[in-house]
Amino acid sequence: MTTLAVPLPSTESGRAGLRHAIRSEWTKLRSVRSTWISLAVIVVAGIGLSALVSNVEATRWANLGPVDRAQFDPVRFSQTGEFISQFVVGVLGALVVTSEYSTGSIRTTLAAMPRRTTVLVAKAMVVGAVVFVVTQITAFISFFVSQEVLTAHGGKALPAGSSIVTQLRTSVIPVVTLANGGAVRAVILCGVYLTMLTLIALGIGFILRHSAGAISLYVGLLLVIPLVIGILPSSISGSIEKYLPSNLGLAMIVVTTRKTDFAGVLLSPWAATGLLALYAAIIVVLAAWVLARRDA
Amino acid sequence: MISEIALVLSGHAVWGRLLMIEATGLSKTYGKTRAVDGLSFEVRPGAVTGFLGPNGSGKSTTMRMVLGLDRPTAGTVTLDGRQYHDLKWPLREVGALLEAKSIHPGRSARNHLWSLAQTNAIPKGRVDEVLELVGLTAVADRKAGKFSLGMSQRLGIASALLGDPGVLLFDEPVNGLDPEGILWVRTLFHSLAGEGRTIFVSSHLMSEMALTATDLVVIGRGRLIADTTVDDFINSNTEATVLVRSPEASRLAEVLTSSGASVVNGDNGSLLVTGARSSQIGEAAHAAGIALHELSPQQASLEEVFMDLTSDAVDFHGITSATTRAAS
Repeated sequence: MTTLAVPLPSTESGRAGLRHAIRSEWTKLRSVRSTWISLAVIVVAGIGLSALVSNVEATRWANLGPVDRAQFDPVRFSQTGEFISQFVVGVLGALVVTSEYSTGSIRTTLAAMPRRTTVLVAKAMVVGAVVFVVTQITAFISFFVSQEVLTAHGGKALPAGSSIVTQLRTSVIPVVTLANGGAVRAVILCGVYLTMLTLIALGIGFILRHSAGAISLYVGLLLVIPLVIGILPSSISGSIEKYLPSNLGLAMIVVTTRKTDFAGVLLSPWAATGLLALYAAIIVVLAAWVLARRDA
Repeated sequence: MISEIALVLSGHAVWGRLLMIEATGLSKTYGKTRAVDGLSFEVRPGAVTGFLGPNGSGKSTTMRMVLGLDRPTAGTVTLDGRQYHDLKWPLREVGALLEAKSIHPGRSARNHLWSLAQTNAIPKGRVDEVLELVGLTAVADRKAGKFSLGMSQRLGIASALLGDPGVLLFDEPVNGLDPEGILWVRTLFHSLAGEGRTIFVSSHLMSEMALTATDLVVIGRGRLIADTTVDDFINSNTEATVLVRSPEASRLAEVLTSSGASVVNGDNGSLLVTGARSSQIGEAAHAAGIALHELSPQQASLEEVFMDLTSDAVDFHGITSATTRAAS
């Protein structure tokens, strides 16, 4: 009745480890519909919103004064979809963990892989890699689509190889290519930003173990805290704002047209990337610590 | 009997890795609540061991500690001397069904099992095999959220069997199963035990355990009440009661009471006698010249024995529990 027709491979060597956990987490991630819905929203809304905003900004061009024209950022407009995607990746990152707690299947997972840090690392690697690839592809498509939109409105390409910051003209809508300084960095960091947010949400999921709680906290970090800080006196808020995750994201994506506009308001792109990576590392390490200590 | 022994022996040969579950002074405290309190017991291979206790008595907590999911406040639980955490391929050594519905509702049974198999390098063919074994092949690609409780139990049993483990833990596996399903589970457990595996099954259904288990670990309020076999459990805990009917009931009661037995009035003028065997009662009645119309020893069921034993150890008495016991 229970005779084994399919022999199990030898268990003489090795043990259930990261390699196995990664395969398992990939199967879990791809076998639920919410993953594919989330990724579809990232791609469709990401590209759609970016194209839409580029179109709106291009139609406003004729009415812009010289100062506003100098701030016209064809790269940032092409990544506007990131605003929606940051919430989608948060939900995806949190649910990868909290859906296991809400169903109780985390116990099955941890019984199959008693080394809990391995489970956390596998989940982070799988969902992180998927989000990175999808957001990166989306960011590049958004970039090209948005530049096409600007071109359709009469935009002209900046000279190849020139820096966007110094070469922006006020006569025609600027259109950029990846050859323009800062463009590639901004587009790639858009995907990096969303990937690190995914890991932050995943960490929050392990810490709170509850879908609604984890998603609320995540949205609070991105939306509510900036609002609260915004009503503080500007002397206080001005010194805090640039360290908020959402503003770190902006710093990573923006290719400022006039350096002075964001000087002091935002960190440099690489400083922002480093700080956000630090936030993500702190939350993930904290998550690993509580996961290892608490009863499942 | 001989064939059973032969099966167990062949099990030894096939397994070469028989596992004993051993709990020593196992305790778990949640805040001020002692869920498990100094529990020591052994579960041996080649038998179905029932883990009995009222709801909230600490059965699930104990099972979670065996699986390394909850950390004991004190004491240890080991598998052949090893901690669960140290098992290299846990699913190939220990299979467990904790909660039937603990599956992502949007994932198919097949994908659920496959993701589990991958963690312990179990080949894909084994997924089909266990699906076949529990009779879920036809619905393998349906979302687990649409499964009935009985189907979910079968899926849980399939996941426990996935790694062909020597130790199997089942927490309330017959909940939600129809009579046919219960019979199937019982047969499956017997055949798994016959192969030399260690089967540890929790239940609050004593009647089911009387048919399924040979060994018993009984707990109440987290404490060990008995670690024995089903037969010994009934025998040693049954204070033999004999039902007697006689036209001279009151005189017989006096005779029996004076000889040291205790007598209470039963239904329809019958007497319930404890402290004397039926043969002794018959001879006493004969000596006193009293006619007997009925003399029948009462066999206590496992249910009754259990109720008596754990009545002090039940946390939440329902209003009916006292009357149920009086009537039984």
